[in-house]
Parts: sequence; structure tokens; C-alpha cells
Amino acid sequence: MIRRIVLPGVVAMAAGAQLAAQAPPAQPSSRPTAYAITNATIVPVVGARITNGTVVIRNGRIEAAGAGVATPAGITVIDGRGLFVYPGLIDSGDRMGLTEIGSVPGGQDTQELGQFNPQNDVITAVNPSSVHIPVTRANGVTSAITSAQGGMIQGTAALIDLAGWTPDEMATKGRVAMVMTYPRVGGGGGRGGFRGGQGQPDGAEAQNRQVQELYGYLRNAKAYNERANPAIKNLAFEALGPALKGEVPVIFDVQTEAQIRGVLALADTFKLRVVLRGATEAWMLADTLAARKIPVVVGPLTSVPSGDAPYDAVYANPGVLAKAGVQIAFQTDDGGEGDARNLPYNAALATAYGLDPEEALRAITINPARIWGVADRLGSIEAGKVANLFVTNGDPLDVRTQVKHVFIRGQLMDWDDRHTQEYQKWRARPKPQ
Amino acid sequence: MMRTALFALPLAAGVLAAQTPTPAPADTSRRPLPVLKVDIPPAATLVAITNATILTASHGTIENGTILIRNGKIAAVGKDLAVPAGAQVIDGKGKFVMPGIIDAHSHSAAESINEGSLSNTAMVRIEDVLREDAIGLYRSLAGGVTTLNVLHGSANTVGGQNAVVKLRWGLPVDSLLFAGAPPGIKFALGENVRQTNVPQTPGRTPRYPRTRMGQEELLREVFTRAQEYQAEWKAYEAAKTQRRKDAKMAEPIPPKRDLQLDAMVEILEGKRLVHAHSYRSDEILMLLKVAKDFNFRIASLQHVLEGYKIADEIAAAGTGASTFADNWAYKLEAFDAIPFNAALMAERGVKVSINSDSDERARRLYQEAAKAMKYGGASEEEAIRMITLNAAWQLGVDKLTGSIDVGKDADIAIFNGHPFAPASRVEMTLIDGRVFFDRNKAPTLEALIEAMKRRPRANTTSGGPQ
Repeated sequence: MIRRIVLPGVVAMAAGAQLAAQAPPAQPSSRPTAYAITNATIVPVVGARITNGTVVIRNGRIEAAGAGVATPAGITVIDGRGLFVYPGLIDSGDRMGLTEIGSVPGGQDTQELGQFNPQNDVITAVNPSSVHIPVTRANGVTSAITSAQGGMIQGTAALIDLAGWTPDEMATKGRVAMVMTYPRVGGGGGRGGFRGGQGQPDGAEAQNRQVQELYGYLRNAKAYNERANPAIKNLAFEALGPALKGEVPVIFDVQTEAQIRGVLALADTFKLRVVLRGATEAWMLADTLAARKIPVVVGPLTSVPSGDAPYDAVYANPGVLAKAGVQIAFQTDDGGEGDARNLPYNAALATAYGLDPEEALRAITINPARIWGVADRLGSIEAGKVANLFVTNGDPLDVRTQVKHVFIRGQLMDWDDRHTQEYQKWRARPKPQ
Repeated sequence: MMRTALFALPLAAGVLAAQTPTPAPADTSRRPLPVLKVDIPPAATLVAITNATILTASHGTIENGTILIRNGKIAAVGKDLAVPAGAQVIDGKGKFVMPGIIDAHSHSAAESINEGSLSNTAMVRIEDVLREDAIGLYRSLAGGVTTLNVLHGSANTVGGQNAVVKLRWGLPVDSLLFAGAPPGIKFALGENVRQTNVPQTPGRTPRYPRTRMGQEELLREVFTRAQEYQAEWKAYEAAKTQRRKDAKMAEPIPPKRDLQLDAMVEILEGKRLVHAHSYRSDEILMLLKVAKDFNFRIASLQHVLEGYKIADEIAAAGTGASTFADNWAYKLEAFDAIPFNAALMAERGVKVSINSDSDERARRLYQEAAKAMKYGGASEEEAIRMITLNAAWQLGVDKLTGSIDVGKDADIAIFNGHPFAPASRVEMTLIDGRVFFDRNKAPTLEALIEAMKRRPRANTTSGGPQ
């Protein structure tokens, strides 16, 4: 039995979408709103580790963190002796809240019809009651970039916290980026079922046509957004306004070198701020990406190389990028298979093949916070930040490590998830006669 | 889910009108990369792995230990072993050595896996469709895997005859087969057999069975036929014996040979191991009842994601359970899957293995096995056994491989750290004492980048349109 903490009651929420500016709503009276984690090793991720440190959590925020921090009177104390405090992990790409059971179409809000859906606002379809949410946060993953898939423009991505009563409450940033997929020639690589990595070629001609369609669509959207008062409103083009003005980045889901080159050309043409995602062949362009300061969300590392690429190409890609000076983050690409909780083990695979372990940790905490423009609120253990953090008995990249406590917006999460429920129920089954 | 964009949908109309087509970047995805060719050095008659931390999987951990390998078999294991002159020495200083990983559920190397036309295709054989050049084999080898159970898919209630292989990369296809592994067969229950999760071809008649009741009936039907067929052959053999004593007796006529029923009879006679794809507790109990009624044992339940609900029944049947570490929710029958499954079944006395069912998971099964420690508190050695000795037992090869013990095949994985530690990777993989993977000589990304630097390609730093 590893998860000893079972707290009664429901998960309480600290704040809404405008978290930074608002005081949290009233909490159920039975739940504490202030905690001190004492005598713990604090891993702030920015700056050195602090031994025998105390983290004070109050009103959804980290009030103080450090070695000389006093424990305020009347506060709920968690003895952190022998334990470690890490900032909550951020999965930079999955479909959290959009899908429940892979084979059941009724639960799928992952894919709209058609190629171009910039007007689709993903936060609309995030189901706060998804059973995937508590299961995922139980391993210290407290935030996720969720977005749809399919076609060339999928709509917005949202940065959500993995707790909350409503989608808007969950959203730290509801429209954190626009998501696009750059057309690709050929298949191969990827997550790999029983015949993983053996996709069918899509054909160069079809790819070329699609690229032209994407350029055409963006050119029309740009022209629309440059008009002062369009006579007929076009909600799709309007939704692309922030991305075309460089106010939000565009996530490009890509794999191959050719796709990445295509994205760079597209970014030049339309002056887009780009975040590459997937990007298994980004290592080929590491210096270029570093020079152009283009962040890369790698992953899932739980995939196989395409074609005849070296056996370790997927695992070694993040290390090559980081060494070249590219800012990297990780995604699990969890489409409802339950992989989001394994985010730290994606990072671990990269450390086995060249990525510095400290950088691996930053790539699932402070780096994504910076990439998604929320480093003032998330990504590290620092006074003033939102109290998204977790307490472990060891390195979170090590599978054997146990997560002891998870906080989201200053609220201690309980362990009442689908998996612990089933475990406890059936473990107590009497031996059959 | 593969992150492959879907382009099959109709395009948004009207958007492109009056646009001047922009020249698209040229296709550069078909770049020249070196074709994978790895030299496999010949086997040495005498090999010593020295000064290593040895995770035996059977009798604990040996610090600063040595393994002596003679003619492909483990000849000695322990501390303070003298290294005989002439031995090929592998310096294990700072390294962790464990038995070669055994994946009890794989489809790597199979050219095709489902003969989906009938509900019972006991006559088809994976052995006939193996490929020695499937890249997944090499990648698994690079993840410390030495033995695979290559199974048919789950389209049919009775899928076909599996093949247990060793990953002897670079050798002819027949070299893959694991001599000494008992024959086996794949069964499948539940959603996949019902074909309810796959798009139906219009006009095609649905194939029986469409329900779990039908699956039980089909099994009872085919085993009843098998018993009759078995009786016909027994009668024929008896008649032949009789005729040797009685020359006046007419020559008995042999029954018509039926390859499908031959395989089913082998199951009844305990000569062919059943590996049964199954998810829900009810269907598993059904299968155990059928096996009991026909007096044979299920060797392993595959996937068995609800095994934790009926661990006592599985243990009592002497059946193994080969499961995923933590995959769930990909279909309805996987919605009750929990990551505690492996540890909870083991706690109740089931011999549990963790399998891959994928080229991807196969190459990091050591990471998957560690999850049995995290969820449910399996011991380290128990977790190691879940990808070695227990899998070997399920495949009937535990006397030959699966642990570091004297007399067994020298199937060994060498890591640069503890296999469960986050930054660990496989440095070397040996099968029968022969080094089939050596990271120092392998075509790595690092080596490729070095080679590309020496031979620069045009345009590698330009991000513009081509």
C-alpha cells in the first residue's frame, strides 16, 4: 500500500481563470487553506536545492520557501523529513479532458471535421469530471496543455490545472496558443502499437497541395485581420488574429526535418511565434532552432524512430537540442491511453541518452512555464508563485519514487481516484471458498 | 495514438479562391541515412563478465560478481571467481547485469498476425511469417530483450500457433526460433473477437461470435470436436495394434488428418501452451472453467487487466498472468485497469509478467517493470522476475533462461546503472553468450551526427523555403 493519505471530501478549487488578479473563493470550511511543509529538501528548479527547508502555502500561493522560514502558528504542518518538494509537473501536450475511453465514440471530443478549425476553443470541451484528471495528478503532474488533433489547424490550446469545478476554473490560460499541424510526406515513427512505426506514405503531391492550402488559408486570415471593420464577420479568421499578431505562439505538431523546415518558412512568411512539438528530427536543425530561439516540445519519448533512424534517435533528440541551446519541454501526447502521468519517465528516458538530469527536470517545470508565458505563476518553488507542487520520497524521474502529497493552487489533493478506489476495493476481497 | 495528421477529410471549400499558389518547401524527408548493418562478432567459447552488480532474478543480488560463460551456457556465477586464461573478458565495473529480458507478448517480426476469416484458426503458424529483418527486433535487443513470444493478433477466439524466438539479429530467419520452447497457441476473448471496435465493411456478414456467450460456446464446440477427433485417432491406433496380433483383420483406415484439430488435441494433451488474450474478470473465469472442464491448463492470460479482481482463482488454476504495467482506458474493457494489477496479483500468488505488445514498450520493459514497485509495492527482485523468470515460466522455458543460474543459456543484459534507475540504459545484450548488441559499436544518433559533420549536407542551417 503506497498511498496512505486519504482525505475526506471533494477537491476544492482555489481560483478561476483570472487567478493572478483574484482572491480565491471561499473554501469548504473543513479543508485547511494553509500548510507548512517542514524539514524537507526543496528543489526549486531555479537555483540550488535547499536542505531542511520549509515551504509555507497560504491562500493558494507559496508564501515562503527556504531554510530559515518560520512555521506560522495555527497552520497545518506536514513533516517533510526525508522528503522532497518539487514544483508541479507540466505536460506540454495531451488531450486531457477531451477523451475518456478510446473505443467509445461518445466520449471523444478530440477531433473536429475539416482541415481548418482555428475557431475551436478547446477549453469548451474540457470535462472537469474526467477520471483521467485525478489519476494523472496523483503522480505530480499538476498542469497540462490540452488541445484537439486532426486536420491542419486544430484550434486553441489551453493550459489547465488538473483540478477544478469548471473548465474556466481549471484554465490558467484558456487560449495559450493556436495549434497547427504541418503537412507531412510519408508516415513512420510514432507511438507504435503492435506495428508501430510503419505508417503509410501520404504522397508528396498531396503534401504539396496541403501546404499550399495552409498558406492560402493563412493569407486570407491575415488579410481579414488587417481590415478595420470587416463587413461580414469570419469567426475562424478572427480566432487566428492573436497568432498572426504574434500575441500567442503557434504550436506546430511536426515530426520530420522537412516539416520543420516548412514551419520555419511559414513562420517567416507570416511572422509567427512558433513552438515546435513532437519534432523527432529536430536534432538535424538544432543549431538553427537555437539561433532562432524556437522552443521545442519533445515527445512522447515513448515512441519508435521513423524508418531507418538510429535506434536511440527519439531518446537522444532532447539531449542534442538542449546541448545546442534550444529551450525544451516534454509532452506525453496522451490521447486517453493514460500516459500523462508518465511525463517524468519521458524525461528520464532522455537522461539515459544524453540529457542532463537537471535540465530534464526543468523541461517539465520551469521551461514549459516560460514557453507558455506563465513563469510568473508556475514552474518553480518560489515565494509568490501559485502553490502547484508535490512532495516525494525521491527523484520524480525515478519510477520507484513515491508521491506523498500533491498540491494544486494551495489545495491538498486527496487520493480518491479511480485506480486507488478499485485497488482498495478488490484488495479487500475475501478469499473465495 | 500515433501523432499522424489525418488528411482524408474534405477540405474547407472556397478558402483558396483567387489565391496565387505559394511554392511549397520541397520534400526532403527521403534523405540518405545509412542502412542499419551491424556486425555480430562470432561467439566466444569462453566469456567472463567481471566485477559487476548481478541481479540474478532467482537468488538475489551479487555485488562485484563474475559470470563465467562456456559454450553459450552459464558455467559459474559468484564472487571471487577466477577468470580462466583465454576468456573474452567483459569488464562489468560500475555495470548492472540482469537476465536477458523476456517479453511474453509481442508481434515484432511477424509479417502478418490475424487470419481473421474464421473464429478458429488453430492451424496457422507465426513460424511461417517471421522476418529476421524487422527493425523492431534490433531495437528491442538494444533494450536488453533476448526472448520474445511472438503471438497472433486477437481477431479470433483461437488465433494460431505462436513462436518463441531469441533476438539473434543478423542471422538467418530460422536462427530466431528458440529451440526447446514448447509449442503454444493464442486464444482471444472480449471486444476484439466481437469485432465491435473496428469499422465494419458494408455488406460483409458479421462473423460469429459477436458476444462473450458465443465465445464460450465456440470454445466448447471446438474442444468437443477435438475430443472426438482424438478418439478417432486413438481408435485407429488401437486397431493398428490389434491388427499386428491378428493378420486376418482388415487394414484399419486412418482418420482424415486435420491440422486445425491436431493443434487443439495437442492442447488437450498438455503439449501446447495456451496464451489467452483477455481483459474482463468474467470472461477470464469462463475460460478457466472451460479449461477445467476439458482438463487442460491455460499457461498464461495475456493483458488480464482485471486479473486483480480474481487473482485467487487465477492462482488456483496454476495460470500465469502477463499484463501491461499501467495502460488503461483505451477501450471499454480496459477501463477498470489499474497500475496495481501486477503487484496485487503477485501478492495473491499469481506468477506475473509485464509484457509490451508493442515495439515501443518492448525496448524499455525495464522501466515498465519498475512500476510494479511503485504501484502496490512489489519487491525489486519480484519486479525483475516480471520481465525475466516469470515470463520464462509462462512460456515453458524457465529451465533454459530467465535467470542468472548455472546451466542456463547465457542470455544477459548489461546496463550502465540499475535497470530501474532513471538514467540507465542498456550497454550490451548477450544471447547464448554471444554479444548481439554492443552500444559502443551500435549505430547511435551521436555516431550519425558525427558522420554528418564529416560529410556536411547542403542547406543544413537554412530555414528558408527550398
